[in-house]
Amino acid sequence: MNVWQLVKVHRAAALVLALLALSASLLLAALPRGFETAYDEAVHGMLRDVSAQQTDLDVTARPLSAEALIGNPADFETRYAEFAKHLPRDLREAVVPLGQGTSHFSAKTTGTPVDTRLDGSKGASHEYVDFAWVPAAADRVTWVEGTPPGPSSTLARVPGHPELRNLKVIEIGLVTEARDKMKIDAGAVLLLGNSYPVVARVTGIYEVDDPADRFWEHNYEVTRAIIRPIPGDTESEWLTTGLVSDEGLASLDERRELSYSWVYGLDRDAVSAADSGAMIAQVDDYSRILTDLAGGPYSSMFTTLRYELVTGLDLVLTDFLSVLRTAETLLYLLLGGLAVVSIGVLALAVQLLTERMRTALSLVRARGASLGQVVRTGAAVIALAVLPATLLGYGLSYLVPGPATLVGHLVPVVLTLTTVLFAVGRLALAHRRPLKDTRADVVSARSSPRRVALEVLVVLLGLGGAYLLRSRGVASDAQELGADPFLMLAPAGLALAAGILTLRLYPLPLRLFTRIAGRRPGAVPFLGLTLAARSRGGAALPVLILLPALAVSVFGALVSGAIGDTQSRAAWQDVGASARVERSAEIPEDVVARVEALPGVNSVVRAGKGNVQVGIGGLRATVLSIDLKDYRELVAGSPLTVPDPPRGLGIPALMSKTLTPYKELEIGWHTRMKVRNMGRLDELPGLSFPGENLIVMPFDGPKRAGLRTYTNILLIDGDVDRATLERTVGLNDAEIETYATSLVDVRDTPLTGAITLAFTIATVAMGVYALIAVIVALVIGAADRTKALSFLRTLGLSQQQARTLTVLEVAPLIVLTAVAGLALGLVLPLVLGPGLDLSAFAGLAVTDFPLTFTTPALLAAGLTAVSILGAFAHATAGRRVTTALRVGESS
Amino acid sequence: MTTLSDLEAQATRRAPAFGEHAHILCDNLVRIYKTEGVEVVALQGLDLLIEKGELIAIVGASGSGKSTLLNVLSGLDVPTAGLARVAGMDLLSMTAKDRLRYRRSVVGFIWQQTARNLLPYLTARENVMLPMKLAGKKAGRDRADELLDLLGVADCAPRRPGQMSGGEQQRVAIAVALANSPEVILADEPTGELDSDTSEEVFGALRRANRELGVTAVIVTHDPLVSEQVDRTVGIRDGRTSSETLRRTSEDGDVIAEEYAVLDRVGRLQLPRDFTNALAMERRVRLELERDHIGVWPAGAGEENGD
Ligand SMILES: Nc1ncnc2c1ncn2[C@@H]1O[C@H](COP(=O)(O)OP(=O)(O)O)[C@@H](O)[C@H]1O
Ligand SMILES: [Mg+2]
Repeated sequence: MNVWQLVKVHRAAALVLALLALSASLLLAALPRGFETAYDEAVHGMLRDVSAQQTDLDVTARPLSAEALIGNPADFETRYAEFAKHLPRDLREAVVPLGQGTSHFSAKTTGTPVDTRLDGSKGASHEYVDFAWVPAAADRVTWVEGTPPGPSSTLARVPGHPELRNLKVIEIGLVTEARDKMKIDAGAVLLLGNSYPVVARVTGIYEVDDPADRFWEHNYEVTRAIIRPIPGDTESEWLTTGLVSDEGLASLDERRELSYSWVYGLDRDAVSAADSGAMIAQVDDYSRILTDLAGGPYSSMFTTLRYELVTGLDLVLTDFLSVLRTAETLLYLLLGGLAVVSIGVLALAVQLLTERMRTALSLVRARGASLGQVVRTGAAVIALAVLPATLLGYGLSYLVPGPATLVGHLVPVVLTLTTVLFAVGRLALAHRRPLKDTRADVVSARSSPRRVALEVLVVLLGLGGAYLLRSRGVASDAQELGADPFLMLAPAGLALAAGILTLRLYPLPLRLFTRIAGRRPGAVPFLGLTLAARSRGGAALPVLILLPALAVSVFGALVSGAIGDTQSRAAWQDVGASARVERSAEIPEDVVARVEALPGVNSVVRAGKGNVQVGIGGLRATVLSIDLKDYRELVAGSPLTVPDPPRGLGIPALMSKTLTPYKELEIGWHTRMKVRNMGRLDELPGLSFPGENLIVMPFDGPKRAGLRTYTNILLIDGDVDRATLERTVGLNDAEIETYATSLVDVRDTPLTGAITLAFTIATVAMGVYALIAVIVALVIGAADRTKALSFLRTLGLSQQQARTLTVLEVAPLIVLTAVAGLALGLVLPLVLGPGLDLSAFAGLAVTDFPLTFTTPALLAAGLTAVSILGAFAHATAGRRVTTALRVGESS
Repeated sequence: MTTLSDLEAQATRRAPAFGEHAHILCDNLVRIYKTEGVEVVALQGLDLLIEKGELIAIVGASGSGKSTLLNVLSGLDVPTAGLARVAGMDLLSMTAKDRLRYRRSVVGFIWQQTARNLLPYLTARENVMLPMKLAGKKAGRDRADELLDLLGVADCAPRRPGQMSGGEQQRVAIAVALANSPEVILADEPTGELDSDTSEEVFGALRRANRELGVTAVIVTHDPLVSEQVDRTVGIRDGRTSSETLRRTSEDGDVIAEEYAVLDRVGRLQLPRDFTNALAMERRVRLELERDHIGVWPAGAGEENGD
């Protein structure tokens, strides 16, 4: 038997098979690639959102004795190389070399107080100036005054301090902000430290070239002068750190609070989602390696340096993994659904092709071909159609940007194997005996008890799996890598169970309809329904395709809906209104008037906000003055809820839980005022943060206290974009947020985008597959149907009636399957619900799946309509049954 | 009425003691189609003996079991009970491998539907070579041409079935059936779809194969043209052989046909329906053994009363 010839003869069917294989292979291989890209982008984004201190690997050590000191830069560099050598593989590949990015080393002191300014200049009463040796900073600053620091010297006597002799003088350079705010200029001489005094001479003032350089996130103290309130004191203290020269390093000794740091900067884009699990483990390993490097945990902590790894990388990655798991679960669920559906369609196409080859193969079988020969030939034909197509699809998937994935590699293999094996099975069964006259027209085959038992088992397993999943929940341990296989299997099992139930049960309602149709005039409905009720064998595949297709689409719609709703809620909570203008200073009246006059602005609610000390003892609270009644009207129709305004004499207020013990509080906001606690309010989204102490008083609160109203927040209802608002307000220190921009922020994360896109692609693909399935199933049965129809034509069936009959024959099954698929899709979130944490995609915890029926119902209706239209198209475009049965032919 | 179990019991009880030397032997052959609840007895204890090199026709009403018999003989179908042996091979106890070998080298067959015999996209020559290839023989192109030539369709060799007439197709089909030099060829209404002239050609081809290659040929037919030209015609009724017609040519060249009823091995006889009708024989008859024959009389009126 010439295989190629068979392919050529049945090229139409082979082409259908090949195209389906191509599309399935492309989709299944390309989607994981796309997912992987999205995962990578997500991990990069997550790493970018946190500071360099959290992502970089910082090896720190504190010298506690003179022996442990490192006095020269070369030693630092050797150790840098030494530690780098011990970095576990993935980490080593992800860090940038020394001298690039944030990779550097440093030695810094902390908490060195200024005792006196020896040059006579005056500063604040509490000042700290520390030393930092950060050689990599040299290229990143510009000296605007004086000269860079040089070597240390000795000061024999300190004027005014006769007890101090031969003090070490360390030269430092300070940042401009220290000069401007702390008033320490070049030339200043400071006596530092209490117990071990040292003198610092300021030789120059520098400016940071690029404050946005992430390098400075490690060395923030040398770029700023920081003011810090002293707890329990009304005064504040000032802190800054000066840069010392390489020679100055030798003067930094263990008597200060000295710490060394070797920073291995992480190249965020070199971290891939796939490696992140390994990296978490490696951070842990590295931490242990460093302990061992210092001579193990029992070595003396005084004579040797004990290295410690400081990084938040593992935590960030763990966070990421928990998000990733949900994404993977969703996407694998989707991929699984798509795989099932596409394999089903492929099987259907195989059935079409084997059915086409049946006569030829039966003939050669009868003429002396062994079963092996027949099966080999048939399977070769299938392989010839499928293999190149899957390989081509796999090849095309490389056009989708992204790394190669194991799933992707497996796709062509698995698709080809399953298809060919299915073909082998079918062919072997069909040609085991050369003469196969089952006379299916006489009696419909009754299922064997074995098959019934198997089906019952599958249904029980499917339901049992779903029940287990529901009661157990999904293992949500982020450390557990990869998606939960049980989570993948349970829905598949459930879909299979639903499919079997549908197949078994669908004749029941049909029989009822048939009985009704039988009583009514018109033979076509009766005939059609009768045909529909008995065509069992060929129906299995289309049901098993349509049902999961719809279930996954519906599930996808529900998930997208839940994410979308929550995203919108998150955006509302972020802004607190359609738009918000906030400023620390007051917003001038004319600005308010301009905003109110903007086209699109419906109404504006003013509010005042401040941060106050509550009573005595460092307790602070956010205080808001706002008319809650107006505010409630402003946000009516949004997911935000606003409580009733506080009522009462004086200044009534709502306060957060932490303040409930106070019936009345005296606060200093604009003036001293007493507010009375009239109820509880823990948070006003957009206006306060959760967990903050909160006091909400009427907008005229300050006025009741004898002053006037203050406005530094505008809450806006209406359709106005951010740019317009910014222009109108015209204050560059005003913070402006709108619902729209905030929504874009939560929505446009790589993972959310990927999930939404994937569900869209899968839904479309499955719709197309379902359509193809229906048509292919019809084409397979076309020969028999033509025979039956031509027989009916001799009895007077019109062309139009023949068409209706065809549609009626398949429509009931499609409709019932669609209903089953819809039901399964609606049930899936309930089954998976506890295991699916969508909060990472929504910006908020997704509390529940709102059972929105519109989209799923539309999907089901759409799929049904498309499938029935397919049947109709087939009935219309297919070969016209013009031939009535000829005498002598058997039907 | 004979029940199914009776038939099965009978079939197993009796050891095959007759026709040891026949080329084709069917003894009490039973074939029951059991299709989920419905049982059709297609052959109910059929006996048949065919000698090597014979050319016989099998006739019978539609549904009498002719095709079933041929399917059994061709190894495409397995009888339910009884004995069927062709060229010394027992068709009931064959393994799958034997069956394959049997189909490859012992029998060849031709179906009624011209289209079913040939692969439409292969030329006549390729079609003939196909069984040889399947049997793993070297593709005998020459042999194929020889066969086609023998059957008078040499010019069809490079053509596909679509480009041939029905008669030509059937003759090519005969060539295909003969490709692996089988000992038996079986044809199920090979001329059923053909007009009389073409039928004549096809039958001629079969007869030539039978004469020149010595193949035993069994032809199921409705066609008097065919059944009247063979030496022996076997009639089948309700799954049993009921009559046989032998033909011989008398000295003056006329063909003399003599119809015989078949007496089976337990002595059962089927009387032709028109005979029994003509004498209104019903339910029972009276037999009388004479010197050289057995007389059959309708049951007398007097005896009827005593019943
Ligand atoms: N595959 C089958 N299943 C059930 N009954 C069958 C099958 N094939 C044939 N029969 C029945 O067996 C009987 C003999 O059929 P067949 O051998 O085809 O008769 P013939 O060829 O003489 O017309 C008929 O009653 C027919 O309906
Ligand atoms: Mg027949």
